[in-house]
Amino acid sequence: MIAGSRLPLGAPKDVLLACALACALVSAPAAAAPAAAAPSAASKPGEAIPPCEACHGAHGEGMAAAHVPRIAGQSAEYLKKQLDDYAEGTRDNPVMRNFAKALSDQQRRTLAARYAAMRATPRPQATAPNAVQQARGHQLAYQGDEQRRVAACNSCHGPDGVGVLHAAPYLAGQSADYLTSALKSFQQDTRRNDAGESMRSVAKQLDDADIAAISGYFSSIQ
Amino acid sequence: MQRLKEVDVVVLGIGMVGSMVAKELAAAGYKVVGLERGEARFTVPEFQSPAIHDELRFAVRKALMQDNTREPVTFRNHASQVALPIRRWESFLPGTGLGGSMVHWNGQTYRFQANDFQLATRTRERYGRSFLDPDLTIQDWGVTYEDLEPHFDRFEYLLGTSGKAGNIKGQRQPGGDPHESPRSRDYPTPPQKELFQGALFRKAASSLGYNPFPQPSSNLSRPYTNPEGMKLNACVFCGFCERFACEHFAKSTPQTVILPVLLANPNFELRTGCQVQRINLDSAKKHATGVTYIDAVGREFEQPASLVITSMFALNNVRMLLLSGIGTPYDPVSGRGVVGRNYTYQTVSSAEAYFDQDVIVNPFMASGASGTVINDFAGDNFDHGGLGFIGGAYIGAVNSHGRPILYHPVPPNTPAWGKRWKQAVIKHYNHTVIIGVHGSSIAHRGNYLDLDPTYRDAWGQPLLRMTFDFPQNDVKMSAYLTAKAAEIGKAMGAKEVAGSPREGPYTTQQYQSTHNTGGTVMGDNPKTSVVNRYSQSWDVSNVFVIGASNYPQNASWNPTGTLGALTYWTIDALKNKYLKNPGRLVSA
Repeated sequence: MIAGSRLPLGAPKDVLLACALACALVSAPAAAAPAAAAPSAASKPGEAIPPCEACHGAHGEGMAAAHVPRIAGQSAEYLKKQLDDYAEGTRDNPVMRNFAKALSDQQRRTLAARYAAMRATPRPQATAPNAVQQARGHQLAYQGDEQRRVAACNSCHGPDGVGVLHAAPYLAGQSADYLTSALKSFQQDTRRNDAGESMRSVAKQLDDADIAAISGYFSSIQ
Repeated sequence: MQRLKEVDVVVLGIGMVGSMVAKELAAAGYKVVGLERGEARFTVPEFQSPAIHDELRFAVRKALMQDNTREPVTFRNHASQVALPIRRWESFLPGTGLGGSMVHWNGQTYRFQANDFQLATRTRERYGRSFLDPDLTIQDWGVTYEDLEPHFDRFEYLLGTSGKAGNIKGQRQPGGDPHESPRSRDYPTPPQKELFQGALFRKAASSLGYNPFPQPSSNLSRPYTNPEGMKLNACVFCGFCERFACEHFAKSTPQTVILPVLLANPNFELRTGCQVQRINLDSAKKHATGVTYIDAVGREFEQPASLVITSMFALNNVRMLLLSGIGTPYDPVSGRGVVGRNYTYQTVSSAEAYFDQDVIVNPFMASGASGTVINDFAGDNFDHGGLGFIGGAYIGAVNSHGRPILYHPVPPNTPAWGKRWKQAVIKHYNHTVIIGVHGSSIAHRGNYLDLDPTYRDAWGQPLLRMTFDFPQNDVKMSAYLTAKAAEIGKAMGAKEVAGSPREGPYTTQQYQSTHNTGGTVMGDNPKTSVVNRYSQSWDVSNVFVIGASNYPQNASWNPTGTLGALTYWTIDALKNKYLKNPGRLVSA
């Protein structure tokens, strides 16, 4: 549907529709899509920009219910790498693959830098983790698990999962649904863009309860 | 003193060697007790970051090392001097605690070459009888590379070592080390990523006609499950390897490759915080009856056992035999006696290559063993005729870290402090490659270990005394090979290269290497060795000593790979020879 590498400003309706449909296909409701129709503060007049905000929000806050991650303030290097990996196929996602493929290297770089510079307010979670999940999540975040041979999440993702520049994305304040789907995609090898298979190694050692605990824990950190 | 129930085997020191032996013997049905001086510790929670990434605590203050407020080593260069206790570890760093020194190692996992195991014979054959200084007491091991090859292989597959074979069953393998002795198969995992500085080194070394290859690394290049069923992860290049423990289950240590299997076996009992005082002997001093140890709250126990394995750090193996009266202590004046004889080290130096600002090295992105090296000047891989020394070194860009407190390379003639020093650190930090020269250590009549006549440990036992200086042979070797490293640095395009060969006197106040070897040397002749080719004491046949203390002299490479092979070789002899028919495995 998206042929050219440059897209006109203002997000044409067919692209938006494609996004909304694709979102619906991947996961869940596309209710937030219309909100993106208005140009956001992030886009500059006269500059081409694909309709990222249809799903990721005008301020990069994401769409939790649709497993769409918050990307505001995520490092430009990480975001650029994800776009490259979607295009190359080491991270499977039909929607993002199409968008990423349509972007030039410079466009990917520009978009990554733009979202990296945003500071979206964290979104309240639909369901807060229960006390057991919170405790287990904290344990995995700070300590890891000897039996499962899983290192503390914070070892790479920084204290309280704030992220480490050039190394690992932030987890704190991220959507729980997105974190769960990300861990599952590592577990199921549909995401293979982790250096040294480091996340696949971890995810395959975790069960559903642990994944729910980690996701709930990090999403609850504001 | 409380006398405990007798067990089949008591293992002294639960590091890598102790874990391997205990695991095999417990699995074979023997009741095994493991006595560990330090504390129990595991990847989770003890090794997790950010606590483990504390450079001040672990690299500067050396928190993982033997407690030298209670148990130091005394040192002197020559027998004419009075030795004093080493109050701060600097030159070498013996570890303590469950898992031993391999918890804080770098993972550089080499095999010694066939030549090394028959060094005396081969040197005589190639260079003649009069080539060597008669004070150099080199000797053959009593075991050959061919004997050890299956055990090297097994150890590498236990660790999951990442590397590239250079010679499989006599067939040269492109990209590997052309000098390596034949191996039965390739490494279990592919080589680590090559660093930028490794690529610079590789291109320069190739242009000079040398044969660069990726350093074998036991910080793994990819996830791996070993034959014990232990899963390891890939290294993330955090730069906190040597002197630290790994939080990622990515460095091969007892904790990651074998301890969980050992601890799950009900035939094995681990006791930590146990300071072994001595191996007890019968009245004829020909048979060990067990050991005496003091626990963490000061209670004394006797643990009777049919078989005693001492698998401590090399220096402590030597001390344990001396404290127990097993074997004749070495006397440097008469040259008689064996325990403590042929103490050797590693003759390490470097050439520092300083580049322009456009060569960006990023030294902080590092793994303990992600290096590119050459063996063209290691061991006897080059003609020593006319050079006046034997031995050699591997040379390579092997940088394991760029940590802020201890890593700040500056060119010679930079002030040691102040504004100009700071400016130089800023200027050179990210534009310097240190080319390591990892040299052999040749045994010398005057270098040895014995018990200190004055100083005692916290339990009242005499400390180990080290008498060591670099033999002229090794000083010459270092000068020759450090110059070769500097030539490579120039070929890499460095603006300035500073080669600093190792010179005497040896000092304990500068880090060089924790490759302390020798002192319980193995061999074919009880007059020149402490243990036979199966690591069995010549004097007390139910005591086996396993460690780098068994090396008659040290070769050009890190000793761990060879120690792992020696351990499996000894385990094989224990299971298939000794335990079936206890007694001397080799008649004197």
